[in-house]
Amino acid sequence: MTADLTLRLQTLICTTLKLEDVRPADIPGDEPLIGSTRLGLDSLDALELVLAIEKEFGVKIGSSEESRQALTSVDTLVAFLRSRQVAA
Amino acid sequence: MHAPADQLPVGLAACDCLTPFGDAPATAAALLAGRSALALAPVLGRDGGDLVPLALFGPMDETIPPRGLPVLHRLAAGIPPAAWGSARCPVVVTSSNFGVGSLYAFTRDHDARHLAHGAPFASVELLRREFGWGGHVQVFSHACVTAHLGLAHAARLLHAGLADRVLVFSFDFVSAFVAGGFHSLKILNGAMPAPYAVRPTGSIGLGEGAAFAVLTRLNGPPKPRFRLAAHALHNEMFHFTGNQPDGAGFAVCTAAIAAATGGRRVWLKGHGTGTLEGGRLEAEALARQFPGAPLTGWKGGLGHTLGSCGLVELAVTLAALGAPGGKIPGTVGSTGPTCTDTVALAAFDAAGFDGAILTSNAFGGAHAAMLLTHE
Repeated sequence: MTADLTLRLQTLICTTLKLEDVRPADIPGDEPLIGSTRLGLDSLDALELVLAIEKEFGVKIGSSEESRQALTSVDTLVAFLRSRQVAA
Repeated sequence: MHAPADQLPVGLAACDCLTPFGDAPATAAALLAGRSALALAPVLGRDGGDLVPLALFGPMDETIPPRGLPVLHRLAAGIPPAAWGSARCPVVVTSSNFGVGSLYAFTRDHDARHLAHGAPFASVELLRREFGWGGHVQVFSHACVTAHLGLAHAARLLHAGLADRVLVFSFDFVSAFVAGGFHSLKILNGAMPAPYAVRPTGSIGLGEGAAFAVLTRLNGPPKPRFRLAAHALHNEMFHFTGNQPDGAGFAVCTAAIAAATGGRRVWLKGHGTGTLEGGRLEAEALARQFPGAPLTGWKGGLGHTLGSCGLVELAVTLAALGAPGGKIPGTVGSTGPTCTDTVALAAFDAAGFDGAILTSNAFGGAHAAMLLTHE
């Protein structure tokens, strides 16, 4: 279940942010999403990602601090969605 | 090497604002009483959405003619008569929203009448016609430091001998377009703003406001009681939505305005929207530059009036200083702990000060500060 959710998030990140040179499975679960030189995401990418996650999973992220915490990595995103009882 | 502050002192011959509390004296009195005009309302107006703190003159949904026009007529009725818009008495209009609510209404309702005043210059042209201004109207927009730029530009016009008096007129009304944008950034959320407070989650409120100031040269009687003595402007250009993490951008602007104070004893009216990092960086930079000077912020009571906040809050400052007792409102909406011990949570006495620093900050890393002096 967690593996499915992880892959779904990795895919969402790649498609939302048009990461053409990155395969979903190549984003390590603990790699920092924002500030990573490899992924090169900035805060506007984070905004797009937040909106995409809210739409895809039907959850609400309540504040910029919660958003920053959830978007630390794929693993923290999985944990965030699990806390909101999202299933894969 | 950074630019020093413009030291181009000008007189403030008249200044007022309108907020949901009323004019500047009414607004200052409400803030002194610790009241907030913010109330939870749907972020998208009639289209619903999450409840967020907004301080509105009325329902947010746009009308034909624009719903803000009666408010602006009320405000304009208090402008001292002059040949506004003539070559020697130009008007500087500042806003960060202009008629964007009308553009949003057009995209939703497909009623072309909204377009007549939707674009920035069309909305200013509407004001020019309504208020009988001549053609010498200049328009400024730079996010939430907009009004500061208009005031600084007016001072430059006066000192360059290009004008005898300048009217700076600013307005910002909240629309679903703008509220929705801040909501998507997660900084306009369900919590009330608490500027400079240390808490787990930051939040802002959006407010509506309009204001004007008449600026004059200082070379003749009557001697104005209030002067705008200096302006400091700086853009760190670090990121669209983020400041340099070490606060260097704030430090440059506060250092420049501090160098212009000339030993005056100043208090500080900060930007203080309620975001955590921005508030902390601002408060720390100000505390370093002005040790012990009390710092207050009013967006917990007024909401963030966006590009107009600099002029709206200037008008409130003048009203507070001019009221019997001369009390300055504290940081409405906040309780301790605060990010510096200089944050004034309660109202304080203006006696003992002969100046104030008023600051605004904006997306894109823009910083603005002005020195208000009073006798």
